[in-house]
Amino acid sequence: MKKIEISRRKFLQGSVALCVYATSSPATIIPKKTTKTTITEATNIPYLCNMCRNKCAGFARVEDGVVTKLNPNQYFPKSRNMLCPKGNAGIDAIYDKDRLKYPLIRIGKRGDGKYKRVTWDEANEHIKDKLVKIFNEQKDNRSTLAYCNGEGFNKNEYIKFFGGKIGSANFLDEGSICLNTKLGATILTIGDIGEPDIAGSDFVIMAGANRYESLITPDSIDMIKADKQKLVVIEPRCTVTAIKADEWLAINPGTDLALCLAMIYITLKDELYNKEYVKKQFDDFDKLKEHILKNNYTSTWAESKTNIPAKKIEKLTKDFFTASRPLFYLGRRSVWAKNDFQFRRAMVLINALAGSINTKGGIIFGKPLKLPNEEINQPFYSNAQGRFDLDGIVYGSSKAGSWLNFREKLLNGSAPYPVKAMFIRKHNLMQNMPNIKKTKKMLEMMDLIVVLDTMPSDTAMMADVILPECTYLEREDMVVSFNRLEPSLALRNQVLKPLYESKSMQDILKGLGQKLTIPLFELSMKHDEELQESIEEMGKLEAFEDGGYNLSELYKQDISTRNKILISKTFGEKAYTSLKEKGVWYPNMEKYHKEVFNNSYVYYPEDRKFYTVNKKYRVKCHIDKLNKHGYDAMPTWRDSYDFKVPDKSFRLITGRYVMFTQSATANNIMLRDIMKTNHIWINNTVAKNLNIIEGDRVEVKSNIGKVEILAYPTNKIAPSVVFFSHGFGSNSDELEQAFGNGANDNQLIEDKMENIYGCAVMNETDVQIRKIRT
Amino acid sequence: MAKYGMAFDYKLCINCHACEVACKEENGILLGADKHRLWIGESEPVGDFYNLARDKGGFLQHQCQQCENAPCLKACPNDAIYRDENGIIQLYESKCDLSLNCMDACPYDARYVDEKKHITDKCIFCSDTRLSRGETTTACQITCPAKVRIFGDLDDENSEISKILSQREYFTLKPEKGTEPKLFYLV
Repeated sequence: MKKIEISRRKFLQGSVALCVYATSSPATIIPKKTTKTTITEATNIPYLCNMCRNKCAGFARVEDGVVTKLNPNQYFPKSRNMLCPKGNAGIDAIYDKDRLKYPLIRIGKRGDGKYKRVTWDEANEHIKDKLVKIFNEQKDNRSTLAYCNGEGFNKNEYIKFFGGKIGSANFLDEGSICLNTKLGATILTIGDIGEPDIAGSDFVIMAGANRYESLITPDSIDMIKADKQKLVVIEPRCTVTAIKADEWLAINPGTDLALCLAMIYITLKDELYNKEYVKKQFDDFDKLKEHILKNNYTSTWAESKTNIPAKKIEKLTKDFFTASRPLFYLGRRSVWAKNDFQFRRAMVLINALAGSINTKGGIIFGKPLKLPNEEINQPFYSNAQGRFDLDGIVYGSSKAGSWLNFREKLLNGSAPYPVKAMFIRKHNLMQNMPNIKKTKKMLEMMDLIVVLDTMPSDTAMMADVILPECTYLEREDMVVSFNRLEPSLALRNQVLKPLYESKSMQDILKGLGQKLTIPLFELSMKHDEELQESIEEMGKLEAFEDGGYNLSELYKQDISTRNKILISKTFGEKAYTSLKEKGVWYPNMEKYHKEVFNNSYVYYPEDRKFYTVNKKYRVKCHIDKLNKHGYDAMPTWRDSYDFKVPDKSFRLITGRYVMFTQSATANNIMLRDIMKTNHIWINNTVAKNLNIIEGDRVEVKSNIGKVEILAYPTNKIAPSVVFFSHGFGSNSDELEQAFGNGANDNQLIEDKMENIYGCAVMNETDVQIRKIRT
Repeated sequence: MAKYGMAFDYKLCINCHACEVACKEENGILLGADKHRLWIGESEPVGDFYNLARDKGGFLQHQCQQCENAPCLKACPNDAIYRDENGIIQLYESKCDLSLNCMDACPYDARYVDEKKHITDKCIFCSDTRLSRGETTTACQITCPAKVRIFGDLDDENSEISKILSQREYFTLKPEKGTEPKLFYLV
């Protein structure tokens, strides 16, 4: 045991995480005012975290109007009484001195960061003037305004306003730079996105997901606690998840599909699959079998693609298919390679071949608690055109489109109409998608950019108008339904009133709606023939009211009132009280919720979990539509998927650290205290040959750009691969902690798109590295 | 009156740093890499990339060991260090003149210098920030996704820590120093 006794001094020297040598950032850490308090009267208010997309529940301790501590919430089945480092550091998101505090209007050139403080009314007036001009020039084509959102909560409310009320077809979100291929592959193959029951599985393969550094609850927690579970991690670098795994198989980046194909080959050839299940649920099984066997996807073939020894692939397959409740974890992670859709689809098929669908330990459908939709009266704008970013994409998300295709069509002039205004909510476009130069060009084409955010991000610095939104601890949000196996409702209660002049999104849209309603209605009267006809028929007032042209209709009642009505009406008064007091409610919670040991709880008795439900679905091996568009109807390997890196180059792969959520947390002083900056991982032998030692500054260059970053030579990465974490390298000097700290991967990552869902491919860029002589 | 101790199911740790942040936030610890009441030792994989030896249990939690036979207490020339009624090693802040003898004496490196308060600081089981307000857990214990730490009264035979120590094997750090730590690492 001695070997892991590490002294404080040795820990400081040896830990790249703490990075005690100089960093690239000019910012110095300022000692924080201590938050330690005497024991005054404290109230504990239940809230939902928003430091990442995951949503955990907590109680905020408030003393004298100040949040002094965030503690986990024991009632929430999803987050199981825990808060991660980001969740704990939420206090520093509220009290970040760099927060956006007041509405701002740009006075300098776009991007130079010169703004003047204005009132909310002045900001709305400015937006109105510009928007009326734009819509008038575009003859009331409402889709000339594009709007996007990067935050999970309130997304639907935001869409209801800009899509439903204003009438734009162009909504974009993070899906096409995140997980849309996985969602799509699952829906197209088994008809539902499902939910992995990792707690119930005795054998888990995890590929393309890093659950101990990119935490998703309850999966990450359940994996730790599943003591009789075997975990095999397939990963190009030795992540913490790989370190903790029973077995880690190092794989060439972008070749996971080859591993899956070999697993399918072996199970079909050796007849290891669940025959009863296949007979009952599969469509076109014979086609799949013929296709896989004909292509000879043997373990030896897969070894040549993946670099995983054939024998290990054979053993992995046998272990998986002979386990009682095997799960090939589908992950929730960015799109890595061009073949990502087929990779995710092959994973679903492997689960199905094992019969691990709609059953304990597999992909379950479960029974989520259903919340009613609040209907709004949507105007019909006859001049509003449809979205264009799905042209050339086989499926794509009709709701949220494809960022890369959208941007490309604007830049190359192939969009059918101009997009002149953009509303950007908590979506850091200047950092979040490959090839930032192109994003900048796209934004420069706009006549109006409005940013709603809490922080002066790189994207905010491109805005004409900045509207300060409050943080998640300063607002109540509409109640949300979570999970399928152990379903619950959770409520984000307001902990503090919004600081400075910030407002909740609903209050921002309410003000904007009130300002825009009449001028935009008048524009439609001028350009919209159908509206002109209805006015003739029923008169102006009735056409207005009947048509739903009042833009702030949804916000007549505040969130708190809407929640009270909706929850009490659907689930009863007790549910509402529980959500206000405990932050959580589900049927029989008082009876089911019990402490087991050491502050760990059970949330549902075993026989009340929704492992298996009555549901009609088929497992689709063959998808005709893909064929018709010239793509593979069944998972197939193509030569272009082979992993090849030119001499003296490296494949750049990206990912996450547990302390940061993309760029949103980059300015958090507490998280920076735990992890100062990002480093580039370089294989230690390669680094030695290049004369690079830890902390050296290196230049990393791709076909589209170059960055400077500190080096971290390590044995945890293959010689042909380098890695650095996303979320660093902010360019906004309004962010004292984040500005110039580390490097941004999207300065280097080329904008390559897969064509099934129009997703950005993150791990197919090669780079060269040079030590910078100082 | 209690005799507080802590057991660590240390192999469950995923080194997510939640405990470090929770501790800093709860106890108002200064920022800075060298200012920590607790830290996680990491044993990095050894060998070359294609033959890496990984240590699944390679993350070990370090903090003040709350020794029954505490070298820091004896080393202080000002009698600034004392044991409170719950067995926690505490400091009379006004008596500390930063002689640093306690830091030299501690085999576990548990203390650091709080330059703002001009004292040597270390883990005191959140006694002033949580236990005193009636909480039964420390900040690091409750926030942990794995619930690695089991905190409680060693004198109470029905406490969870007493039960687990009677059921599982454990080791202490540097037993040869004779410090009799009240922190136990479960095997």
